[in-house]
Amino acid sequence: MLEFTGLWMALVTFLSIWCGHVGVRWLEAHSPNIRPPIIILLVSGIALNVYALFAPNLTLSGVSSIIGITLMWDALEMYRQQGRVLKGHAPANPNNPRHAAYLAAGKAITEDLLDREPQGSPVEQPTAARAQGAPAYKQYREVEA
Amino acid sequence: MMWEGIALGLFSFGIIGFGFFWVIRMEYHLGYLWWPYPMTLGILLVVLSLFTGNAGWSALLGITGGSFIWGATELKEQAVRAELGWFKFNPNPKPNPPGLRWIKKIKAPHL
Repeated sequence: MLEFTGLWMALVTFLSIWCGHVGVRWLEAHSPNIRPPIIILLVSGIALNVYALFAPNLTLSGVSSIIGITLMWDALEMYRQQGRVLKGHAPANPNNPRHAAYLAAGKAITEDLLDREPQGSPVEQPTAARAQGAPAYKQYREVEA
Repeated sequence: MMWEGIALGLFSFGIIGFGFFWVIRMEYHLGYLWWPYPMTLGILLVVLSLFTGNAGWSALLGITGGSFIWGATELKEQAVRAELGWFKFNPNPKPNPPGLRWIKKIKAPHL
């Protein structure tokens, strides 16, 4: 008889990474304040892991825990994504007041630099993205503090 | 209490972390055109998981397979990151994967 537990785990692993990958970018770009979604992600992740402890079978328990741990990681990725926007490694959304402030301060760009095919040689980045990097993020952290 | 489920969650966390490592290394040394190979490995692991006859081993193989399939879709973007200077760019010529002619006919997946 076929054992389908692994197939379920594979699907959940793949889909939760994919949804996290796309979802974190979207959430960070559309949240005026990233703290509420971070708290929701963390609480949901913890709740799913608690449920995993009491689930009626291994498949349901594993699925819950994989999604739960991925959501907790996504909470951390929200901060990292904000850092990427401030480095010019991810596009800023001008309609988001938080991102609009970064753009006004010359700390971010709207171009998605990853949206290209590999060419096999180093790419010259736009000056704005190159000139920022870590110092812009540091300045932002100082302003936040 | 079902601690096995939490163990599977932690295992997926670890294997995804390993994914970061091998995607960076594989793109650096071999290049993104090798993407069908980790994808095939991932699919084989998932197929193998169906025949283990044991839920635990099946789960571990399934998680590993799912992670390899995802990693294969990340190789192209990793190549762009390296070209942008966000990761170390390998200036040396990269080996061609077996079946390059066929691989080039299919657009490398990116999600």
